[in-house]
Amino acid sequence: MPKMGDAMTEGKVVRWYKKAGDVVKKGEPVLEIETDKVNLDLEAEQDGTIGQVEVQEGQMVPVGGRLAMISAPGEKIEKSEKPEKSEKPAEPAPTQRRALDKKDSIKHSTGEYGEAMEMKGPRIDRSAPPAAPLRVVEGGKKRSSPLARKMAQEMGVSLDAVQGSGPQGRIIARDIKGAPARSLPATAQKLETKEIPLSAMRRTIAKRLAESTGPIPHFYLTADYDVTNLLLLRAQLNEIENTKFSVNDFVIRAAALALRHHPNVNASWGDEAITQHGEIHIGVAVSTPEGLITPVVRNADQKSVMEIATDVRTLADKAKNRKLRPEEYQGSTFTISNLGAWGIEEFTAIINPPNVAILAIGAAASRAVVIDKQVVIRDRMKITMSCDHRVVDGAAGAEYLKTLRQYLEQPIRLIV
Amino acid sequence: MAEKSYRDAIRDAMMEEMDRDENVLIMGEDIGVYEGTFRITAGMLKKYGPKRVIDTPIAEAGMAGTAVGMAMVGLRPIVEMMTMNFSIVAADQILNHAAKVRYFSGGQVDVPLVIRGPQGAGVQLSAQHSQSFESFYGHFPGIHVVAPGTPADAKGLLKTAIRGRDPVIFLESAALYGMKGEVPDDPDFTVPFGESRVVREGSDVTIVSYSRMLQVSLTAAERLSKDEGIEVEVIDLRTLRPLDLEPAYASVSKTHRCVVVQEQWKPFGAAAEIAASISEHNFDELDAPVERVTGEDVPMPYARNLELLATPHEEQVIAGVKKVLYANG
Repeated sequence: MPKMGDAMTEGKVVRWYKKAGDVVKKGEPVLEIETDKVNLDLEAEQDGTIGQVEVQEGQMVPVGGRLAMISAPGEKIEKSEKPEKSEKPAEPAPTQRRALDKKDSIKHSTGEYGEAMEMKGPRIDRSAPPAAPLRVVEGGKKRSSPLARKMAQEMGVSLDAVQGSGPQGRIIARDIKGAPARSLPATAQKLETKEIPLSAMRRTIAKRLAESTGPIPHFYLTADYDVTNLLLLRAQLNEIENTKFSVNDFVIRAAALALRHHPNVNASWGDEAITQHGEIHIGVAVSTPEGLITPVVRNADQKSVMEIATDVRTLADKAKNRKLRPEEYQGSTFTISNLGAWGIEEFTAIINPPNVAILAIGAAASRAVVIDKQVVIRDRMKITMSCDHRVVDGAAGAEYLKTLRQYLEQPIRLIV
Repeated sequence: MAEKSYRDAIRDAMMEEMDRDENVLIMGEDIGVYEGTFRITAGMLKKYGPKRVIDTPIAEAGMAGTAVGMAMVGLRPIVEMMTMNFSIVAADQILNHAAKVRYFSGGQVDVPLVIRGPQGAGVQLSAQHSQSFESFYGHFPGIHVVAPGTPADAKGLLKTAIRGRDPVIFLESAALYGMKGEVPDDPDFTVPFGESRVVREGSDVTIVSYSRMLQVSLTAAERLSKDEGIEVEVIDLRTLRPLDLEPAYASVSKTHRCVVVQEQWKPFGAAAEIAASISEHNFDELDAPVERVTGEDVPMPYARNLELLATPHEEQVIAGVKKVLYANG
């Protein structure tokens, strides 16, 4: 049983690959052992024939204990007690040498040089077991230039999906430029309308929470988003397009795209079942002299920011002139209320039934934030999500806000 | 401004400073009566006399040591090495004395000393007389290392060296002595140490260079622009110590690709220091490893054709640029 680390005193035989009488070649695995840290195969150190197997599978063996014998070709197989050669403890020597090293260094450190070294910093404890050497697996991680990696991260491109054109397949900047944005986590499932029968647990949650806070048990989650890139993108688009985009147009698209990953948030409560909607219709709160109304951007997840901007402009004009038709303000599956234009930093909104969630969007503003231990100025925006706890639990709401972050903070995803 | 050769610019710098300050003097082998092996000191003995233009024996350690002593007591000696290759004989005086006196004296004693002379290949002086010393001297704290690549910089940097408080190794490129360029007439024109400059603007690749390789790099850059539409930004370091890499860092942040061009051998050369610094500073900006274009790792051949093959030319620089652009096919 070889010593595989300083702390190892014994090892377990997991299984034998060979049995007595088998012929083995040098380097061929003979058995698998388990230490307190790893499982690994022991290989034959020379060609030969397996003689007596002295340890059964599952048995513990002290370090240095005999596992089996390998006889050289032609050598007679004996059942002797003489120590076998091939499975002798693997290099106990380095351990000892390290211990000596430490003593040596203490001895040498009695001089002024040693004192200077002591003052310079803590001595490394060389008696600790050495870290396992790093192994580079051929064909594993793709080669890529630092710039390419940085660009891929900024643009949301997966290096796995990119073919490198540099030497040895190195992915370089020009390979990233043409690459498609990373498809978001698996949840981009196909949407369909379906009823999920209320489970007993869900009924109880709903009942208890409703009793506690009213017909819709609200709770609130606030997230602070870095919208520096979003505002830059908006400024750039406003320069090249005729339409003037508002921040809210981007938020609507981001919210709709994020809903695709979280159909449980794009839902309605019913006494017998929760309905997850097959389409994403975003209600947009619009203030009119008569009061609040929420015209609906239909299938917002399938519309470009430009189309959303046009829809919102048209609907808001109609709302202000009281010309909205019922089908233009009914049927939302999710709602957004934005008081950023009024300079509101953050607020909570009341859910718009039969939705189960609403986003309250605060004003985007420059703030001092800490990045890499440096205070830098970034544009930040707070969003508070009100959730209907009968349908959306805390973690589910938080997951939605997390997905939303990917869109708001990497806004290239909103236009590609 | 007047058009002057690199050689005349160096002479002008020395004579202007000798006119300006009577403590400035020059010593070296065959600089007086013979007027210098490369005729840098032509006319100087006649004008300033043998007390300020001193012909020495062939004894580099002796003249460097004498100059260190002169500098310590207030003179401003210039030592001309017939070639910088001979300064190796005086290395102990330069590295262990000139570079250390202020430190050892607790800051009480300065050594305002200039050791100047030609170096580098290109004029068929063979293996012992064609070497480059910027990394050799640049390794040691306590001395400045200057390597001008134009006549104007040769004059401006030499005047800064003569007026300064520190020992300066002033490396002239032998192959540039005849090069002409615009040189300011203003007797107070100087070029400060530690201020690299962007000589040519470009967006695709950054070349960092100095001395004669600056000119080679500029020629390569023009050819790349004309033939390939590749725009190279060329940075002249001017001084290797102090080494100002800020313009290079800024440039590489823009181009994401960098080639360092030096005449000396590749192992442990100045380009290694520069490339490592850029990799440390610009790691996330690099789209290719920093490329070094250098001389061949052999003693410099005397034969003209072999000497040409052993030193970097436009072709090697162009190949280096294309390599970091992944454009070599």
